Amino acid sequence: MREKATTLYLGPQHPGITGNMMIRLKVEGDTIVGAQTEVGYLHRAFEKLQEKRNWLQSFTLMCRYCVPETDPMEESYARAVEEIEGREVPIRAKYIRVMVLELARLASFMLWYGGQNGSLGLYTMGQWSVGDRNYILDLFEELTGGRVYHMYIWPGGVRRDLPKGFEQKVLKTMDYLEKRLGDYDDLMFDNAIFKKRTQGVGLVDKATAIEHGVVGAVLRGCGIKSDIRIDDPYEVYDKLDFEVPTAEGGDIWARALVRRQEARQSIRIIRQVIADMPGGSVYNKVPNPQKWILPKGDAYVRTESVRGEIGLYLVSDGGNMPRRVHLRGAAYVHAVSLLEDVLVGENVADVSAIMNSLGTCPPEIER
Amino acid sequence: MEKIKANLIEHVKSSFPEASATNHDGNRLDFTVKKECIPSILTNFKDILGYIHLSHITCVDWLEEGEFEMIYIVWSPEDKIKIFVRTRVERDNPVMPNIDMIWRQANTYEREFREMYGIQFTGLVGAEEFILEDWDGPPPMRRDFDTEKYAEETFFHRPGREDALDVREEIIKRSLEEIPDYAKKYSR
Amino acid sequence: MIKMINDKNSQKIVDIIQNWSRKHSIWVLAYGTGCGAIEIPPTMTSRYDAERMGVRGAATPRQADVLLITGYLTTKTLKRVLRVYEQMQDPKYVIGFGSCTINGGMYYDSYNTIKVLDKYLPVDVYINGCMPRPEAVLAGFGKLQELIGEGKANGATKYKENLEWYRANQKKVIPTWKRPEYNW
Repeated sequence: MREKATTLYLGPQHPGITGNMMIRLKVEGDTIVGAQTEVGYLHRAFEKLQEKRNWLQSFTLMCRYCVPETDPMEESYARAVEEIEGREVPIRAKYIRVMVLELARLASFMLWYGGQNGSLGLYTMGQWSVGDRNYILDLFEELTGGRVYHMYIWPGGVRRDLPKGFEQKVLKTMDYLEKRLGDYDDLMFDNAIFKKRTQGVGLVDKATAIEHGVVGAVLRGCGIKSDIRIDDPYEVYDKLDFEVPTAEGGDIWARALVRRQEARQSIRIIRQVIADMPGGSVYNKVPNPQKWILPKGDAYVRTESVRGEIGLYLVSDGGNMPRRVHLRGAAYVHAVSLLEDVLVGENVADVSAIMNSLGTCPPEIER
Repeated sequence: MEKIKANLIEHVKSSFPEASATNHDGNRLDFTVKKECIPSILTNFKDILGYIHLSHITCVDWLEEGEFEMIYIVWSPEDKIKIFVRTRVERDNPVMPNIDMIWRQANTYEREFREMYGIQFTGLVGAEEFILEDWDGPPPMRRDFDTEKYAEETFFHRPGREDALDVREEIIKRSLEEIPDYAKKYSR
Repeated sequence: MIKMINDKNSQKIVDIIQNWSRKHSIWVLAYGTGCGAIEIPPTMTSRYDAERMGVRGAATPRQADVLLITGYLTTKTLKRVLRVYEQMQDPKYVIGFGSCTINGGMYYDSYNTIKVLDKYLPVDVYINGCMPRPEAVLAGFGKLQELIGEGKANGATKYKENLEWYRANQKKVIPTWKRPEYNW
């Protein structure tokens, strides 16, 4: 006896979804046969607003594109403006930028830990990892003045130099976090329930990956080695020594393994940056922002964030306001068309785990 | 790198004689084509030349010239070069070909441009409303839509304080004051 | 104690005990409506533990006491928030989180966000900041507890009495209105 398909609204108010979006599911029994995502609950019209503010004012809007990880957006805007104008950035500022980016990666990775495990029922991980993330946010607060929105990396360098004794605090925090990551491994990766629930779920194979233009840890979980920091290097990544991990399988287990290895590489990069940091100034001063005019041209820059590749396209028409700012986050690719394909054939109880594993962040999709 | 770029320009010009190429320093290369050639040139890049990753599709509104400009950016993991394919559409009744069948992710970009700019894509399948709900005005990203005026008329605003001071005058007044002794070491 | 109960103010004693027990167990609905939802996990976990004040998460509107509007609201979300607010049962409170609920914040000229939250929903406590720190969130909950203890947190009663005014404001912003005219 065939059952008829019912429609379930996994709506905007739900404790299992990350953020504020809706998925319309067609379900037969317990299996999903069709899915349709609906976004638009967080649309603030950033691109329209940025055409009315001058070059330095629209920089304050850049960090609010995506909330869990705010530094890659600022960095891509700064690099695009410098590329159009041809402005040089001092070498010490580049090293500091790399350190701030890797610290933001670690903080966002801790938040992902809590979300991924909470969706499977392991709530202890969230209490541990989000509690330890506060140590990284303390470092940010001492350096920039804010926990979540930093506004520190701006066109021309960074806003101010490191305070006294900052490097020792960073190294102490890195030692502590490395020890704690070992504790998390015992709880999560050696856990039989976690293995049983994540192996073979949420499969993305290589052909689907290329057709949908998949980026980031999802692509590395399919076995393809690709990372913007090595393919198209920016700042000082070509002088640093680190690896890019991959895993086979394409399911949630493989992606979790890839992210765990990347955290270890991030700690390695931060230690190298602190050991190699040169002296000098940190800011190449821009002219008066009310009258700062850029020449005509356009630029496209790419950055690697924890979820994948972020692309920013910036157009200047010779005035003191940008003509067009278009940022495409990694969730734009993963959460609208890829999610609809991956969810077909899965169990309703696994939807939340798949969404967390693909890196869904709705503010990035609809800006 | 320059040799690869020169080979690419030669290959594209032999199949599409009307395309024009601009070389930038670094790893970027631009091509400008007519809008009818877009599906065939992108298929050429994806299947024959190995540019398998679609990185970005974007649209710019040039109100003064009366045209929209669409830009497709593709990337190859072997050659490590970014290629920009540019084309122009007229503004009054814009119709573009659909590249849904080459990359499935282009569906999302095209639905958004249909809603925000009003560009029609031939044969596009997908729900009409993507981001906005019950919107009955003009397409909002066009440059002749004034968003501040719309926000003034539709929403309530909180009025400012009655004793509000002008910020610039206060800053100038304060910068001419005498700095007290205990604060001298903090001033610039 | 018996003399106090036999007094004419016995109604007041019942109210005091009722308010005291309500203010130490506030359940927050799990709905992250805007950017401010990034500072809620640190508030609920180990360092700035909010559970010692009785604050924990609730899954559905029927089980929640407080609706935490974290940040800006678009018109699409406002429609869903109204439905959720009217499904919550008395006594219920609304906390406005962040500067965007006060006067629109940095999106003051956007065509999609509402600027003043007070005209559409009755707000009891505002928490200032962009992003408010977890200590500020705990202070906001402390202020709400004070108001409940004195019996002054009556946003829900205000909503019921002025329903036509609130409905007129909401219809101006949401063009296709399929909500019922009565309050649930």
